[in-house]
Amino acid sequence: MTAQAPADQTAAQGAVVELRRFSKWYGDVVAVADLSFELRPGVTGLLGPNGAGKTTTLKAICGLLHPSQGEVLLFGRPISRDPMLYRAIGVVPDGDRLYPRLTVRSYVRLHAELQGLTDAGAAADRAIAEVDMGPLADRRLKGLSKGERQRTKVAGAIVHQPALLILDEPLTGMDPGQRARFIELIRIIGAAGVTVLVSSHILGEVERLASQILVLVSGRLAASGDYHAIRDLMADQPRTVMVKADDARRLAAGLIALPSTVAVEVDGDALRARTRSVDSFATALPRLARDQGASLHEVRTTDESLEQVFRYLVGRR
Amino acid sequence: MSKTVRLLTFSLGQLLAGRRLIIIALLVALPLVVPAVFANGADVEPATFTLELFRQLVLPVLLPVVALTFATSSLGSELRDGTVTNLLLKPIPRPAVLGAKYLAAVASSLVVLLPAETVGHVVAAGGLGSTDLLTAMLLATVVGTLAYCALGLLLSLLMARALLVGLAYALLWEGAVVSVAPSAASLSIRGYTEGVLAAALRGGGLGLETRLGPVSATVLAAVVTLAALVLAVRRLERMDIP
Repeated sequence: MTAQAPADQTAAQGAVVELRRFSKWYGDVVAVADLSFELRPGVTGLLGPNGAGKTTTLKAICGLLHPSQGEVLLFGRPISRDPMLYRAIGVVPDGDRLYPRLTVRSYVRLHAELQGLTDAGAAADRAIAEVDMGPLADRRLKGLSKGERQRTKVAGAIVHQPALLILDEPLTGMDPGQRARFIELIRIIGAAGVTVLVSSHILGEVERLASQILVLVSGRLAASGDYHAIRDLMADQPRTVMVKADDARRLAAGLIALPSTVAVEVDGDALRARTRSVDSFATALPRLARDQGASLHEVRTTDESLEQVFRYLVGRR
Repeated sequence: MSKTVRLLTFSLGQLLAGRRLIIIALLVALPLVVPAVFANGADVEPATFTLELFRQLVLPVLLPVVALTFATSSLGSELRDGTVTNLLLKPIPRPAVLGAKYLAAVASSLVVLLPAETVGHVVAAGGLGSTDLLTAMLLATVVGTLAYCALGLLLSLLMARALLVGLAYALLWEGAVVSVAPSAASLSIRGYTEGVLAAALRGGGLGLETRLGPVSATVLAAVVTLAALVLAVRRLERMDIP
């Protein structure tokens, strides 16, 4: 995919996206506060728990929301004053937002035509092929799975080969195979010089998609920069892992002996362990269970746990 | 095909898709054509019958209901289900988006109303009948449609229950309030439409008593239509899209 950047914009000049002290509030509720960052070509992940202000930020970048305070600039200009900037922007918004009566091909072609492409049909076919929707191109959107509909939205967003691609939770509804292919596609697009901003509330997704991340918590920028450096910061904070097993009490006794374990609480057949290293916990747990003859029924990190890590990052600033 | 024209044709397709066109066309045509069939065989002056049917049924009910229904769903339904982002995130100025949606609503309304009125007129007259009357009715319908669609589009950008509020205006304000307070006709699209009808019929032997003169009616209709469209454009440019 070759990016179509505005004529006066090159990758060497200025930021593609620039937020300057952007704030958005609704009455007394502050959705995003004093947010500043810049985006340049490559893939950047926007990470944060649900309600952190990710979608608000993405909508402001797209020009769907007006800042209550501050500025949002695309290619150095506010998009609200220059709709022609949409020639260089592709957006996969949150939610469904599809026309159920259209087929995949007619939906993507509509995007191409509204972008003013001269050969809209060929552009649509190419975009459909890029997201592996070729065999379903003549199916109506209302009959597709959530993952297929999501890929159709992506095809509509990339049909005009934008210089800036914004995706709000794009992996929602995709199966593991589709996710892997999609992540590869996003990496290729980013490597081709496109500026890609992808939001997610799942750390593992962002890790596979982006090398640079922005972490939003409660409408504020909690951390930004290289993914690995931020992950190391997060690793300092204990995470909570919930385990359901046959003999949770005996398992707890083994887990508390691990050097990375901070605390263990037992409640019936479940235990909640706080650990400084989820990785070493995940390695040790099956071995402990096997040694003690216990069966594991469920193992998961809790959402509150991730929220606590995000809040820790906010507190560090 | 330009982007705006493509947006217009797409919007027309959305409004007239599936069975919606057939259902609305039947709902409009039946109350106009069926009475005309009976009038044709009765001892009734066709022109008088058609004019009264137009004044008592089309102007107060069918015209506002059809125009407001299409206008409020043209952009409003896309705002509610979120599909409007497919159109707004494109290199098309928002006034052009609004213009395309407005024209789609107007065209859809006229596609339903004009044939039904023409068929009802022809059936009642047992032929072409008075072409002056037909022309006047069609002209008044076009003027009313332009105004009601502008109002409906504006309401759909201001509130979720735009159709309900629009119908309340048409049926309560224009129907009840204007009848007891004639000066309120200056704030009534129905009043403007009747004024245009009367002006078009002048000299055709079917003079009408209307609350607004032809010039006032035409100017007010134009002012209200343009004001509603300007306000709608400002609203669309400044509003946050959910």
